Amino acid sequence: MTLPTSLDEAVAALAAMPAAVPVAGGTDLMSAVNSGLLRPAALVGLGRISEIRGWQYADGNALLGACLTHARMGRSDFAALIPALAMAARAAGPPQIRNAGTLGGNIANAAPTGDALPVLAALEATVVLAGPDGTREIPVGHLTAGHDPLRPGELLAYVRAPLLHAPQTFLKATTRTGPGRATASVALVLDPARRGVRCAIGAVAPMPLRPLEAERWVSGLIDWDGSRALEPEACTAFGDYAAMSCIPDPAEGELPLALAHLRRTVAALARRALERALS
Amino acid sequence: MTGPDAVTATPTATGGGTTATTNPASVADKSYGLGASVPPADADAKTQGVFPYAADLWAEGLLWAAVLRSPHPHARIVSVDTHAAAEMPGVRAVVTHEDVPGDLMHGRWVADRPVFAKDIVRYHGEPIAAVAADHPGTARLAAAAIAVEYELLEPVTDPEQAFSAEALHPDGNLIRHIPLQFGDPEATGEVVVEGVYRIGRQDPAPIGAEAGLAVPRPDGGVELYLASTDPHADRDLASACFGLEPDRVKVVVTGVPGAMADREDPSFGLTLGLLALKTGCPVKLVATREESFLGHAHRHPALLCYRHHADAEGRLVKVEAQILLDAGAYADASSDALAAAVSFAAGPYAVPHVFVEGWAVRTNNPPSGHVRGEGAMQVCAAYEGQMDKLAARLGLDPAELRMRNVMATGDLLPIGQTVTCPAPVGELLKAVRDADLPPLPADDDEAEWLLPDGPAGAGEPGAVRRGVGYALGMVHMLGAEGYDEVSTATVRVQDGVATVICAAVDTGQGFATLARQIVQEVLGVDEVRVLPADTDQPPAGPAARGRHTWVSGGAVERAAKMVRTQLLQPLAAKFGMSVELLTIVEGKITSYDGVLSTTVVEALDGKELWATAQCRPHPTERLDDSGQGDAFVGLAFAAVRAVVDVDIELGSVRVVEMTVAQDVGRVLNPRQVEARIEAGVTQGVGMALMEDLRTSRGTVKRPSLTGYALPTALDAPQVRIVKLVEERDVVASFGAKAVSAVPVVTSPAAVAAAVRAATGRPVSRLPIRPQAAVAKPAGA
Repeated sequence: MTLPTSLDEAVAALAAMPAAVPVAGGTDLMSAVNSGLLRPAALVGLGRISEIRGWQYADGNALLGACLTHARMGRSDFAALIPALAMAARAAGPPQIRNAGTLGGNIANAAPTGDALPVLAALEATVVLAGPDGTREIPVGHLTAGHDPLRPGELLAYVRAPLLHAPQTFLKATTRTGPGRATASVALVLDPARRGVRCAIGAVAPMPLRPLEAERWVSGLIDWDGSRALEPEACTAFGDYAAMSCIPDPAEGELPLALAHLRRTVAALARRALERALS
Repeated sequence: MTGPDAVTATPTATGGGTTATTNPASVADKSYGLGASVPPADADAKTQGVFPYAADLWAEGLLWAAVLRSPHPHARIVSVDTHAAAEMPGVRAVVTHEDVPGDLMHGRWVADRPVFAKDIVRYHGEPIAAVAADHPGTARLAAAAIAVEYELLEPVTDPEQAFSAEALHPDGNLIRHIPLQFGDPEATGEVVVEGVYRIGRQDPAPIGAEAGLAVPRPDGGVELYLASTDPHADRDLASACFGLEPDRVKVVVTGVPGAMADREDPSFGLTLGLLALKTGCPVKLVATREESFLGHAHRHPALLCYRHHADAEGRLVKVEAQILLDAGAYADASSDALAAAVSFAAGPYAVPHVFVEGWAVRTNNPPSGHVRGEGAMQVCAAYEGQMDKLAARLGLDPAELRMRNVMATGDLLPIGQTVTCPAPVGELLKAVRDADLPPLPADDDEAEWLLPDGPAGAGEPGAVRRGVGYALGMVHMLGAEGYDEVSTATVRVQDGVATVICAAVDTGQGFATLARQIVQEVLGVDEVRVLPADTDQPPAGPAARGRHTWVSGGAVERAAKMVRTQLLQPLAAKFGMSVELLTIVEGKITSYDGVLSTTVVEALDGKELWATAQCRPHPTERLDDSGQGDAFVGLAFAAVRAVVDVDIELGSVRVVEMTVAQDVGRVLNPRQVEARIEAGVTQGVGMALMEDLRTSRGTVKRPSLTGYALPTALDAPQVRIVKLVEERDVVASFGAKAVSAVPVVTSPAAVAAAVRAATGRPVSRLPIRPQAAVAKPAGA
C-alpha cells in the first residue's frame, strides 16, 4: 500500500508496479477484497492527493477531481453547477457510502447501477487520464465500455463536464424508501446553447443508454427562446419513446412481464424528468 | 451492574410511552420488578463494546475452520479427494462424512440430515467437508482445494413437482400431510371467493456474524462456545455425532446478538467439535455472509389456494384451503410449521366448517425451518387476502366484514380445540379501526413528505395513492402437539444479591431482563444477576414461540418464591405470623402491622439460600388423522392497520404507519413490549415489501446483504401501538402472552391489504413486487 500525495507520484507508483490497484473510497473495491473476489498485489491509495479532491473551472467546463466524494457533490454549491450530478450523488446510497465513495470510483467500477454514469452520459462528459506519457482525454463511455481501457500506469484523474446553465434532473427508481441500487434511473439535461435535450437511462443495461431519436424529436418541439413548456401529452410521448428505444419489443412474442414493468418505469421516469426540467 | 439508580434517574422515560393508554398509572412509577421498564440486561455491555459476540472468541493456539459447501442444489458425489488440501502447509485436519465417529445424521426434530453430505448433495450450500488450519486464509484456500467430482442431478425446485418426482431422500418427499376436517363438507355459502397466494422465502438475516469456538477437554470431551438458542438440543446433537456421552460435551452460550430463528446452520457446532477432537486444538469458525444465507433455516415458501364461503351478510360459512410448504431438503421444523399453518388456516375468525389439506414437501431449495411465526404468517397473508376479496364482493368495509366474524373466547378452533384463553379479537380490531389516521401529506408541508422511492428518489406526489388495510393474526405459544414443555431455574440469594441460573437463552427477547424483574418482584432485592447459560445447568428448552416468558419465567418465579419462603419462614415463626403477612420492598422486610422491620441482609445472617424449581405447562396432543386435537397451550392475537403510500406508476410502496393493537395478557416490561412489537412489525414489513431470497433452479442468487434487501430506517414505518389488551391468561405465568411473533405474522397481510386498497390490484404474492402495485390512475 502506497499513499502518494500528488498525481505524479501516484502515476509513478502505478507505473512502477502495474499490478497495483488504485483505491479511493474503497466502497466497492474493499467489499470485493473482503469477500475474496479480488486479491490485489498492492494498493495505491488516492486519498491524500488533494489536487483531485476538488474541482476547477476550465473554458466553460468544470474539471472535477476523480476523488470528489458523493457527499461533496451533493452539497448545494456543487448542485448549482451541475444539478443532475448532485442529485445522483445524493441518491447514491447511505451517508456512510456517500462520505467515502468517489466520482472516479463510480466510473472505474462501471457498475450498471452506478448513479453518476447516466448523468455523465447525458452531459457527454469526458475523462482525463494521467499516465507516464502525459494525459489523454476520452469520453466516459469509451472507458466504461472497455473500448479504450486504462493503459498500464494510467490513472483516472479528472472528469470534464460542461456547465450548461440550464435545468437538469436525475431520477432513480429503487422500489424502496431506503437507499438502494437503481432498478432504473434517468438523467436529463437541457443544453440551451445547442438547443438540445439530452437524456440517458441507467441501470437497465450494462451501460447507460441514450435515446437519441427521442431526444432529437423532443428538442425540436421545444420553443428554446420562449417558455420551453410542453404539453403533458408530449412529455408522455417522450417518456414512451425513450423507454421503447431502451427496451424494444422482442422480434417475436410478448415482452416478459418484468421487462414490461421496467419499460413502464423508464417511461414514467423519463416523462417526470422532462416535466421537471421544463417546469 | 445496572442498579436501581440507573432506572429511577429517568422515571418519565422508563414509564408509559405509547403503551400508556392501557397501563395503570402505577406501572409508570415503578422502577423495578414486573411492569417496570427495566432496561435490557445486555444494554450496557452492548453499548460499551464488551458484549461477548461469538465472532470475538479467542483461545490460546486456536485453529481456524472453513467449510466446503456444495455449489450445486442436487448432485451425486462421485468422489472427494482431500489429499491436496491435507498436504497444504498449515492445514491440520480435513474432515468429511468418513470422520464422523457417531451418528452421521442429525436434526432437531427428525434425524434426516447428514453432518457432511455423503453420496448426494441436496441443497446449494450443503456442507461436504471442513478444514482446520492455522490461518483463516489457509483454511479457506484448503477447503477450495478439496476436489469433489459431482454428477449433476436435476433439482426439484417446484414444490408441486415434489409429489411426483423421484425421492430426494430415503425418507421420501412428503414430510407431513395434514387433512383437516371440521364441520360439514357439504356446507356452502351464498357468496364464494377463491384465491391463490404465494409467499416468498424470508431469511432471518441475523446481523451478528455466525461464529463459534470448540475447545477440546483433557478428558476427551469438548466444549462448544456457540450463539445457541437451544443449548441442550445442540449438545445432544453434538454428542450423538461425536459418539460421546452427553456429559462429555458442554455447550456454552456466548452472547446471541439477536435471533428470531434458529440462528445458524445446525451443523455449525458439529463441524467445530469434530475438528477440535481430531486436532486436539481449539478451533474457531466464522461464517461469511454468503455461508449464512446458504446454511441457516429460512421461512417456508408457501403456495396457498383458498375458497371462502359466506352468507349474504358476510358471515363466514366455510373455508377450504390447500397449503403447500416448501421445506427444502430436510425436515427440520416443517412438521411444526405445517401444524400451525393448517390449524390457523381460517385465522382468528369463527368458522363453522373448515377443510384444509396441508403438505410439507422436500425440494432442493434452500432449507426451511423455524423463523418466528412459521406457518401462521403464510396463512395470515392468504386468509386476509380472502377477507378483502369477500368484502369487495359484498360491498362491505373490510374492517366491518372482519368484525362480523371475529373469534372470541369459547369458540372452537378448526382443530376442535376450544379457545379457553382470552381472545379479545374484536376489541383489538375496534382499537385499530377507530384510531386516527395519520395526516395526509396535503395537510403537511410537501417538502417534508417522504415519498415512496425515498428522499432523493423519483417519487411524484401526483402519482401517489394512499391505501389503508387491516389484518388480524394469531400465533400459538410454546411447543405444540405433545411437545414436553418444561424449564428449570435456580435462584440463589446471598448478601442481599440474588443470582438466577437458568439455561434459557436471551436472544434479544429480553429473558435476562425479565428474570431480573421477576426476582426483584418476589424477593424485593434490587441487584439480580442472571448467569450466562450453559449445558451444565438443567435444560430450559429453545428460545422460541414465546416460551421463556411463560415456561422459564414461571420456573424463575417458583424458585424465587421458594427462596422467599426460606428467608421469611424463620422470621414469621419468631413473630408468630404467617409468611404472607410479610412484605419485602427494596431490601427491607416489614410486617403488615409494622412491628417487624429488618433487611434482607440481616435476615440472611450470612447464609446462602438456594432453590430450584420447574415449570411444566399442561400437556398438549398431536393432531390426529383428520387434523383434530388439543394441540396448543396458548394463543396470542393482534390487529394491525397499515397505511401505505404507493406510487402507482412505479409500483413502489412506502409504509407510512402501522397501527397495532395486541393481546398481551399482561405487560411485564412496557418498553420491552414496545420494542418487540416495533421489531416484529418491521420484520413483517420486510416480508411484505422486499425480503425474498431468490433462487434459480435451486441455486441461491446473490446471497449477500446487497442482493437481499432488508428494511432500513427509512423503510421502517412509524409503529403506533394504540392498545395493549391486558386480559390475563390464567394458565400462563404472570398471565402474560408472548408478544414478539404475532406482529410478524400479521403485518405482511396488513401491508398487502393496504396496497390492495391503494391500487385496486389483487396483491396475492409476498413480497409485493412493484409490477403488482402499479395501477391506472383514476379516470384514465
